[in-house]
Amino acid sequence: MSGIISTYTFWTIWLFVHLILALGLLGAITHQAMAVALPVRKPAAGIITRFRAVSAAGYATAVCFLYVLTFFVGSFIYTQYRVVIRIPLEDAHFYKALGFFDFKEHVATLGLVLLPAYWYFWKNAQNPEYDNARKGVTLVLAVMVWFLFIVGHVLNNTRGFAS
Amino acid sequence: MSTAATTSKATHPTSPLAASRKFKAFATTFSISGPVIYCVIQYLNYPLFTYWPAVHRFVWGFGAASAKDGPNMLWYGWSVTTILIASMFGIVAMIIPEHITKKIPLWLVWLLPILAIPYVVYSLMPWWILAARQ
Repeated sequence: MSGIISTYTFWTIWLFVHLILALGLLGAITHQAMAVALPVRKPAAGIITRFRAVSAAGYATAVCFLYVLTFFVGSFIYTQYRVVIRIPLEDAHFYKALGFFDFKEHVATLGLVLLPAYWYFWKNAQNPEYDNARKGVTLVLAVMVWFLFIVGHVLNNTRGFAS
Repeated sequence: MSTAATTSKATHPTSPLAASRKFKAFATTFSISGPVIYCVIQYLNYPLFTYWPAVHRFVWGFGAASAKDGPNMLWYGWSVTTILIASMFGIVAMIIPEHITKKIPLWLVWLLPILAIPYVVYSLMPWWILAARQ
């Protein structure tokens, strides 16, 4: 690969892929979370109502697929972070940022293990037995995805913020 | 409040997997046990493997960081160990009778990851202490 593009460009492309996948995931899970938290009972009027009025069950497989893809791409670029990014951040005493990144890795795995139950609850959305569990797991997963996104985004800018 | 009525039009389980009672036992048990297993594995530090990204070295089990090999990565090993053990729990749940697995409260699926967060924050105490000392 080094003959075609530089190492820097290679990892930047993967970071960008991670960002695009994360954005797709964020959009899908936010739609779904809004739909379960504030369900719409009347025909959609404004943009906020239409945002909540999506057919949320249709997002379940896409959310699982995007979460797993984002997780794997993130796991791949994590190797580069560990060697090239984290060590300079340690030297520069960005301890809070480093702590939050480790927090992010734990939350990513905690979210990953929720996916089988999340998918099952949504694929049986007609069954009222699962309503509360589906609502709970969707909201928890949405909060996790937002947390992962914000921490990743801020960490990506850490040295920029500080300089 | 029924979210099903308001958030979906026709969501009858279309795949055999979604209609399967055995998959329900697997999925809920996997997702309930997963956060607990992850916290225990991380606390006991039992990664299935350790990876040294600077030298692309890989060993089974735990391996320490060293001046020669550089930083080690344990998170992959913790995550894979968690998935394997949670899968075993899920498979056991598929085997045991349905009237037993039906008694597992489904709210544990969302409650346990929330309860895992304070432990995770606590486990990162060395970073918070370093940050506070600055």
